[in-house]
Amino acid sequence: MFGGTVRGKLTTLRLPVDADLALHQRWAADMRVRRAGPIGRWHEPAATATWKERWTEQAKDKSSLLWSIAAGDATVGYARIGFEGAPHAEVIGLEQFVIDPAHARNGYGWDAALALHRWIFDFMHFRMAATDAIAADDAGRQRILERLGHVRFGHGHEVYYRDGAYVDQYLYQLERETWDERWPNEREYPPLPEELER
Amino acid sequence: MIGPRLEGNGGVSLGPMTLADRKQMTRAMQEPETSRFWGGRYGDYRDEAAEERYKKDAEDPNSVNWTIAYQGETVGMTGLFDIDWAARDCESGIFIGRSDLYGRGIASEAVRLRTEFAWRELRLHRVHNWISLRNRGSRRANEKAGYRQMGLMRHYGFRSGQWYDDWLGEVFPPDSPAGIFVPPSKGG
Repeated sequence: MFGGTVRGKLTTLRLPVDADLALHQRWAADMRVRRAGPIGRWHEPAATATWKERWTEQAKDKSSLLWSIAAGDATVGYARIGFEGAPHAEVIGLEQFVIDPAHARNGYGWDAALALHRWIFDFMHFRMAATDAIAADDAGRQRILERLGHVRFGHGHEVYYRDGAYVDQYLYQLERETWDERWPNEREYPPLPEELER
Repeated sequence: MIGPRLEGNGGVSLGPMTLADRKQMTRAMQEPETSRFWGGRYGDYRDEAAEERYKKDAEDPNSVNWTIAYQGETVGMTGLFDIDWAARDCESGIFIGRSDLYGRGIASEAVRLRTEFAWRELRLHRVHNWISLRNRGSRRANEKAGYRQMGLMRHYGFRSGQWYDDWLGEVFPPDSPAGIFVPPSKGG
């Protein structure tokens, strides 16, 4: 499935459109993006026609959601989550989270991650968000996850292989109670007055 | 892939999984005695679905699937899944479908055979898995084959009024620079 609009301050998670396909092709072939490991690799590079098929498969897949991340008029990345244990999922797996290197260091990653977690916990009321796909030398994503309140619950040794060497893997989880304590004002909608609830 | 025959100790062996084995294990997974730590006891349990899954597993070049036999009788299944041939890493899993045979060391021997196959025949670098922390039998079976804890996920699942945490394990070949000790083989 595809995700609808979730607004951050700098970025918007929005419905992917066909014009984004060429960007996916570029990201999939970019060694700077691929370096992140599975969190940065949705698919291997392919012909544009193949990307269109992947798009169709994603639209049909009821166990995951794909958003494009926009900043102004530019598409600056994408986020993809999995519903763990679908169709009765309580946990969201953060499968891919990519910001185009050309748009790095503008705060888009943090802003989009915060908006995504607001959707997960405030809007959808999931019990937990987790990921098992963070490379130990990926300081950027670790910083974002830890700032959100994720705790590292695992350390896999020599899991990813790149540049002729193994890299360790970190695993993170964030439970809804922690999110509520840490981000009590991150709400999709302001609370309704009592009288309007009737 | 379907795994080859591996003879173990104590009447335990791994063998090529058949469609009949798959259907038998699908029935076993529906029972409360075997599923406390395994899934939600719901799903497509029809024979047609088992057939489809079997075909998919058999054709998958990134997994190895075995039947576990005890004294010649099918009692469970095990496998290596999602093999990443670049990193030479994969996930492992095991299911014993006969609760009356728990505690006889069947899982321990099956995990030992499976782990040795990963090193000796597939030249893998690492195998990892997720096991319910409270599933002591399965955890011990993996620990005896060299798996060591690499994480603990809080509140992984909920059963009968209790939260269950999940134990994350990993194991490396005996000569790995990762430095985790793997007990030597006792044969098989």
